[in-house]
Amino acid sequence: MATVDDVATGGPPEHRPRRNLTGYWLILPGALWLLLFFVIPFYSLLAASLFDPDGSVLTGYDVTFHVQNFGNAFWDYKEQIGRSLLYAALATATCLVLGYVLAYAIAFKAGRWKNLMLVLVIAPFFTSFLLRTLSWKLILADDGWVVDVAQAIHLTDALQLVNLADGDRLLATPFAVIAGLTYNFLPFMVLPLYASLEKVDVRLIEAAGDLYASPARGFLKVTLPLSMPGVVAGTLLTFIPATGDYVNDQLLGNTNTRMVGASIQSLFTKENDYATAGALSVILMVIIVAAVMVYVRKAGTEELV
Amino acid sequence: MAGMNRRTVLRGGAGLGFLGVSAAVLPLFGTPDQKQDPSRLKVPDRSESDPRLIISNWPEYIDEDDDGYVSTLTQFEKDTGITVRYTADVNDNDEFFSKVRNQLGSGTSTKRDLFALTDWMAARMIQVGWIQKLDASKVPNLHANIIDSLAKPAWDPGRDYSAPWQSGLTGIAYNKAKVDEVRSFSDLVTRPDLKGRVSLLTEMRDTMGFMLLIDGADPEKFTDDEWKQAVERLTKAKKAGQFRSFTGNDYVQDLASGNVLACEAWSGDIANAGDENLVWVPPEEGIMIWADNMMVPNLATHQANAEQWINYYYEPEVAAKLADYNSYICPVKGAQEAMEKVNPDNVENELIFPTEKTLSLTHRFMALDEAKARTYEKDYTDVQRA
Amino acid sequence: MSNAPESTVSAPPRAEAAHDLRLQGLTKEYATFTAVKALDLVVPQGQFFALLGPSGCGKTTTLRMVAGLETPTSGSIHLGDSDITYEKPYKRPVNTVFQNYALFPHLDIAKNVAFGLERRGVKNTKQQVAEMLELVELTSQAHKKPAQMSGGQQQRVALARALINQPEVLLLDEPLGALDLKLRRGMQLELKRIQTEVGLTFVHVTHDQEEAMTMADTIAVMNGGVIEQMGAPTELYENPRTTFVANFLGQSNLIAGDIEGRDGDQVKVRVQGAVASVPADRAHAESGQGWLGIRPEKVLIAETGHPIDAPGDVITGGFVTDVSFVGVSTQYQVRMPWGQELMVFEQNTGARGMLPVGTKVDVSWRPEFAFLLDASQDAMAGIEGD
Ligand SMILES: Nc1ncnc2c1ncn2[C@@H]1O[C@H](COP(=O)(O)OP(=O)(O)OP(=O)(O)O)[C@@H](O)[C@H]1O
Ligand SMILES: [Mg+2]
Repeated sequence: MATVDDVATGGPPEHRPRRNLTGYWLILPGALWLLLFFVIPFYSLLAASLFDPDGSVLTGYDVTFHVQNFGNAFWDYKEQIGRSLLYAALATATCLVLGYVLAYAIAFKAGRWKNLMLVLVIAPFFTSFLLRTLSWKLILADDGWVVDVAQAIHLTDALQLVNLADGDRLLATPFAVIAGLTYNFLPFMVLPLYASLEKVDVRLIEAAGDLYASPARGFLKVTLPLSMPGVVAGTLLTFIPATGDYVNDQLLGNTNTRMVGASIQSLFTKENDYATAGALSVILMVIIVAAVMVYVRKAGTEELV
Repeated sequence: MAGMNRRTVLRGGAGLGFLGVSAAVLPLFGTPDQKQDPSRLKVPDRSESDPRLIISNWPEYIDEDDDGYVSTLTQFEKDTGITVRYTADVNDNDEFFSKVRNQLGSGTSTKRDLFALTDWMAARMIQVGWIQKLDASKVPNLHANIIDSLAKPAWDPGRDYSAPWQSGLTGIAYNKAKVDEVRSFSDLVTRPDLKGRVSLLTEMRDTMGFMLLIDGADPEKFTDDEWKQAVERLTKAKKAGQFRSFTGNDYVQDLASGNVLACEAWSGDIANAGDENLVWVPPEEGIMIWADNMMVPNLATHQANAEQWINYYYEPEVAAKLADYNSYICPVKGAQEAMEKVNPDNVENELIFPTEKTLSLTHRFMALDEAKARTYEKDYTDVQRA
Repeated sequence: MSNAPESTVSAPPRAEAAHDLRLQGLTKEYATFTAVKALDLVVPQGQFFALLGPSGCGKTTTLRMVAGLETPTSGSIHLGDSDITYEKPYKRPVNTVFQNYALFPHLDIAKNVAFGLERRGVKNTKQQVAEMLELVELTSQAHKKPAQMSGGQQQRVALARALINQPEVLLLDEPLGALDLKLRRGMQLELKRIQTEVGLTFVHVTHDQEEAMTMADTIAVMNGGVIEQMGAPTELYENPRTTFVANFLGQSNLIAGDIEGRDGDQVKVRVQGAVASVPADRAHAESGQGWLGIRPEKVLIAETGHPIDAPGDVITGGFVTDVSFVGVSTQYQVRMPWGQELMVFEQNTGARGMLPVGTKVDVSWRPEFAFLLDASQDAMAGIEGD
């Protein structure tokens, strides 16, 4: 877009040098990739969302621009959508708090352990996502010691009060789903946070101290604002995939913790309701894009982009 | 400012263009009806000139050569001179469906001669005309030896298109170290001491089959009212918090670890778990029986070889060897007698050879067309998220 | 007012100097390196104090300890009666203009400047910020971000940000280093004016001896972590105590000689056959070998045979090896009979034309301008550049 505008409003055309096409050639592979793996699937998804809802393998699926699909999908799955956003938001918030502390410690306090700690942060990636999540089932098992401890310190009671658990257990509760999301997406939070904290000049923090800012105030007024690019990147990298996640709630949750990702999966594969599945996917995408835009604007990162 | 105007116009134009292009392009993403006519998708059989056979089946579903032991497959190859390419690439009915859907739906070859899918998926494929009819004269063993309870499924009453590979039962399992005996499905959905510690299967046909049975309806032939009643009953139990989860293949671990006290379960899973506290019981209301069915897809080039294979596995001795290996219900009459020679310990194994009494209690789920299947699946997922 | 080190260190606290900054035995050791060694100094309240020294001599480290950003290994820091050695930096009435500016990149200029006031809970900072920006001539830049400013502008922001707080002690770590000469002179005057007006104690670190001499009430010359000499600019210049100070602050001719001993208030030195006398209070060596020092502008020069208007001894036999005309003065290099080159700066009064290279000349100086240093020191110490 920018190039079109530049050309359109550019200066006098008299002695414009011969067009250098290298830039375009460099873009080509990326553009092809985008076309193949984003534009075409996107259209395919959009088309599915506009299918005749009565379509089936028998009758075929026609794009009848049946826009009611959106209304129906939204109405039928509003709970799942709301739940996904809520769980993702809670997991993101938890990730942010835990991730920030961790990233801060690695960036400023780890000294020569820095590299080791970074490796540990990404170490979970060396095993499969599914296996890691499954192992949480063992950790949180009803008869396991984690549950015993949680009961002893009345964590389970507290969780029940805020509706994040039902019964004296941890597994198969919203809490477990959120914990699983938190665990699985934590590295996506820690790494960008670390990258931006690493760049924060400690001399600025000193300057804040010199200018009467207590360590806490100095953090709020200097370190935190300077790490905002990491906060924004980390929250997006966590929130977006967490919203669409369909593994954690299936393995760690129960049927009342169903998130929209699992619903879409089931619509596509079990119910063969492509129209609703497509519409639901598009709705989810629109919600996420809108949320991200509002968020990025609010987070005021204009100078960072 | 002219530049500004021009820019706005350009933007607006681009936006409109995008919409226009989208409207024009989107219909291209529709998919045509995928129904096929199998009689028109027959190719000249090359079984004679090209003695090969390409099979897709579920993992760990066939015996293997071991020192001294000649597997049924190797024996088949020896006897017939056919080279079998056997691939265990069916992990999930839906997944396999999406794998072959494009070819079968558009009338092109899947490059397979035989694959095995569970009843409802088999029914669906036969219904859309993706499956070739078997030549009855070439599979005499099938028609002679198939056990009665599997002989006449509603979706292929004459076994003209399909032949069960192995079969299994769906019932109840409970952890006897943790809870009193659970006898009926009704217990499972109502007993207060199980509250919140029960898991059901996400397989609509299994669970809803039992729910229909509780009300005295026949899962193979029920009315919409009966269906509604069954759904309501399940919803009520769900809302009351009776169930902890609805699971796929992964319920045994929860049962063994005590997270779940009792659950809906497949017989083979419990047998294979090797935990003596886990007990599988046939529910009092009845048992759901299912089978994985071998079928020949359209445009298969070695149908005769496939039929030879089916016929071979319906020989009682071969069936006994196979059943001895994988402990599922053997669909072949006479295999129990043949088992004497193969492994006398397994002759009385109820999981391989259920008694007549047990078999008489089995039910299958009604054959559903696409639309009905979707409605029911949706009703069932609605229950799960109620 | 004499600021000789021995007198300041032992001076009893004066009543009006309740807020003198006192460093006692201040030492900072890093793992492998001692950056500051047992530093003793007093900066009287309201003084403009300059810390002068070559790169790496420990100036920044000293300031950081005063600001509280570095914990001393030993020694103490007092501000008036309170011991602030271990006081938290944000609780000290001390502000710093950092060598690297350390402006907050996410805040605009106005907010940077207001930072300290806001942290102390000052409500209406607008007026003060405006005044401060006015002072550093950045009013029009108030809403720029630091990255959008030139180095000199950033430096002025750093100055404004610290000054606005009116701290008891303002530490300036080469605050004018990035400014061009004109702006620098302007800012020097401005700084000096502010300092006198508000009566703050300034500790000003600089590389620039001229800056130090024009601005400071007291200069401390630091070298290798210790203070070589401290005093009023004129005193330091006229009567250096070490070869380092003699060379670092201006330039000096150091001529090797044998000290013959004291004669009244004069010390006699035999220099290349002639005997020179040095006032006793300018002689920092009593016996043995010594360096006879004389500033180049104090050396008078004349063509051999022509009279020199000086009461002191005349040394003949030199000849000019280099002449450079620098406008206000002419700088000669004169090769003396014993091979040493002396520097001679002569004011261009117009009384006589330039002496060309090769001219045989005599040199002379008034004995009261000479100084005598211990010969154990390196004659080249403190010579910058090369
Ligand atoms: N953290 C540290 N660890 C080890 N040595 C250090 C450390 N910080 C400073 N030094 C050393 O201490 C000495 C004094 O440093 P300082 O920054 O005080 O010099 P400076 O006088 O301010 O020099 P400049 O004029 O170049 O700014 C230097 O030799 C430096 O290498
Ligand atoms: Mg420094």
